[in-house]
Amino acid sequence: MSKFKEKGGGTLIKVGLASLLMTAGLQSAFAGEEVTGGTLFGDMQTVTQDLLDNAAGDANNFLHTNANYNQTRFYPAEQINRENVHNLERAWTFKMDVVDSLETTPIIINGTMYVTSSFNHVYALDAKTGKEKWHYQHKMGPITTYCCGPNNRGVQAYEDMVYMGTLDSQLVALDAKTGKKVWATQIADPELGYSETMAPTIVNGKVLIGTNGGEYGIRGFVKAFDAKTGALLWTFHSIPEDSTGVWAENDATGLYMHRDIAAEKEALKTLGDPYKTLGGGVWQNMAIDRDNNRAYFVVGNPSPDLYGAIRPGDNLYTNSLVSVDLDSGEKICHFQYIAHDVWDLDAVSPPILVPVKNEDGQTVKGVLHGGKTGYVYVHNASDCSLIRHSEPMVMQRDRWVLPTKEGASMLPGANGGVEWSPMATDPNQGLAYAINLHQPMTYHVEETPYPEGKLWLGGAFKVIPTEQQWGNVTAVDYNTGKIKWKVKTQQPMIGGILATAGGLVFTGEGNGLFKAYNSTSGELMWQDQTKAGVNAPPASYNVAGDQYIVVGSGGNAQMNYKRGNEIIAYKLNKK
Amino acid sequence: MMFKLKSAWLLVAALTMFTSAVIADEGKLATGTEAPIGEQDKYASVQETLKTCFSCHGEKGASTIGTFPTLAGQEFYYMYVQLKDMKKGLRASQVMGPIVAGIEKEDLKLMAEYFSEQEWPKTDYKLDPKRIAAAKLVADAGQCAACHLGTFKGNSRVPRLANQHPEYLKNTMHDFKNDVRKNAPAMGTLFKSFSEQEIQDIADYMSSFKGE
Repeated sequence: MSKFKEKGGGTLIKVGLASLLMTAGLQSAFAGEEVTGGTLFGDMQTVTQDLLDNAAGDANNFLHTNANYNQTRFYPAEQINRENVHNLERAWTFKMDVVDSLETTPIIINGTMYVTSSFNHVYALDAKTGKEKWHYQHKMGPITTYCCGPNNRGVQAYEDMVYMGTLDSQLVALDAKTGKKVWATQIADPELGYSETMAPTIVNGKVLIGTNGGEYGIRGFVKAFDAKTGALLWTFHSIPEDSTGVWAENDATGLYMHRDIAAEKEALKTLGDPYKTLGGGVWQNMAIDRDNNRAYFVVGNPSPDLYGAIRPGDNLYTNSLVSVDLDSGEKICHFQYIAHDVWDLDAVSPPILVPVKNEDGQTVKGVLHGGKTGYVYVHNASDCSLIRHSEPMVMQRDRWVLPTKEGASMLPGANGGVEWSPMATDPNQGLAYAINLHQPMTYHVEETPYPEGKLWLGGAFKVIPTEQQWGNVTAVDYNTGKIKWKVKTQQPMIGGILATAGGLVFTGEGNGLFKAYNSTSGELMWQDQTKAGVNAPPASYNVAGDQYIVVGSGGNAQMNYKRGNEIIAYKLNKK
Repeated sequence: MMFKLKSAWLLVAALTMFTSAVIADEGKLATGTEAPIGEQDKYASVQETLKTCFSCHGEKGASTIGTFPTLAGQEFYYMYVQLKDMKKGLRASQVMGPIVAGIEKEDLKLMAEYFSEQEWPKTDYKLDPKRIAAAKLVADAGQCAACHLGTFKGNSRVPRLANQHPEYLKNTMHDFKNDVRKNAPAMGTLFKSFSEQEIQDIADYMSSFKGE
């Protein structure tokens, strides 16, 4: 227990960081240094590549949507810990202009915080007081096409600018000090179903961004733009021109998927490869392996979601983990979880790079992904191969029953066992933390030709109103696949989770509760009732010796959780 | 163009013979043609057509007839797509099809723009509090708020449903359910799974929202 003892006014990262770096096998010039306020890294208004590279050990800032390039969502500060979390209180609350679905991850640099709201507003705030420094409102074009809310998940800061993707499929670069637009570039055509909700990922002057649109018959991609000029550098099509694959009969867990492969092969002869409208959006941040100059991301569902007869084949690389070379965008490896998906149980929760034990007990560079199936998948990063999958975190009922016209009931529902919500990990404990949904649905199929940019589901998903719904917070040992602990929540969970060196995990619920759990046991240690659904990923930072936890409370469109407009920062009451 | 417009007028007139609600509002139909359009220059090319619209959809699109949707303040891109679909026959309409058949796309866009710029009229649709919980359950089952947003105010290609006439909403859902309206295929499948009572619940529930 002494590990989590409060160390006084400063944020001490000595023990936690050293341990993290040993586990992760990382090199850092900052290991073992004590942070007592201010910054180790000079003027934070310029976000250097060095800062971004060392974010995993930075207990002052929060520089990436998922905390660091490995996307561990493990924050190395331990000032707020199990011993004192009961003293956590609101430091400030900031109200944004838009009251709607809120999925932003705050980015904090040297005491300045950047947050976004639905419909692409950006705010720069004083991270100590919550006072506004500037506010940018994107002038939205008349055509937007998006599924599941007018969301935005945040900005990425790089050098002297902050970058945001917009609902009308633009990439916008703002001056970090003033909020004034420096440049904007059109990523894709919103009339054809393309939109942006993810925060960009930036590495070595390249702005990487995917696209939404899997419900509209897009052809998915990841694009790299020049951070200074907005010029397009390369495009990786997440749907190759030959999307056929290997005609897989079973999913990644080995479960038979009831495909009529003979009929698909016949259809392929007459219809041809469906790659031009096959979907495969990439709408969550990628993990970056700096040592090997690779990006890892997951690819979403095929279009149309439920009507598979029109898109014969495995529908590569939908529902897959994919790794590409950062210089060229060329594919290095992929692993498909569900071939020819007709349930929208695609791959969305962002992948995480961590050292994992392989089948022989050797520690290798691994990739974790929380699947909509409700399993955590553990891969070898070198070739994307699957090492293991976890026990199911959510109840499985009639999984892979084929959709019917009248509706076939199945668990997980189409929002999955894990939605887009990023997982967190604690490398010291070898645990991955996921938030889950138990939401039974009926899956309906209907023959539907491509509707040119309109919603293209090929049927419908319907929540079963007579069946109870709930959520879980689950800790999974990714070296064994065993569930270590699981706690139930009142409603299905969506939004994200943060683990800290203080031995805690923080996550929020649709009913407005924001909670801290003991990361080893799952014991509830603290909670706060906010005014709207807490369905955004939390972040943490340090200003002037105080560690803060910050989260958005604005509800969620997809789950229809109560809307709001608050960014809430918490710190310890030390009196 | 003039010929087309006259034809359209004849159709509107013919429709009134079969629609009691329109007949009851005949006086408004006559005066509606004198309504100022506003921003005359910008909408000059569609001024006469807009007056035709007013005859059923109300002054400046503020419909007072339950079977005709309110257009004032509706989403621009949604209306533009609907007009294009009616012209192409993707959204079959005996009334609207002939009206838009001879109108060029640029003018359809102007019409949509004009109506989107008008203020949504205040209505006072309310839902019996005893029915709210059940109606919300139905709307949540269909995940309606995921696209139409939390207060059903719509955005861009997704229409506002809040404060829309419940009769029109109900008719539209029936049209989806019965494959009469085929230009939003995902809606067709969804509404086939809803009962008559559930459709009534959704119509009454959504029209009771203020769209704020």
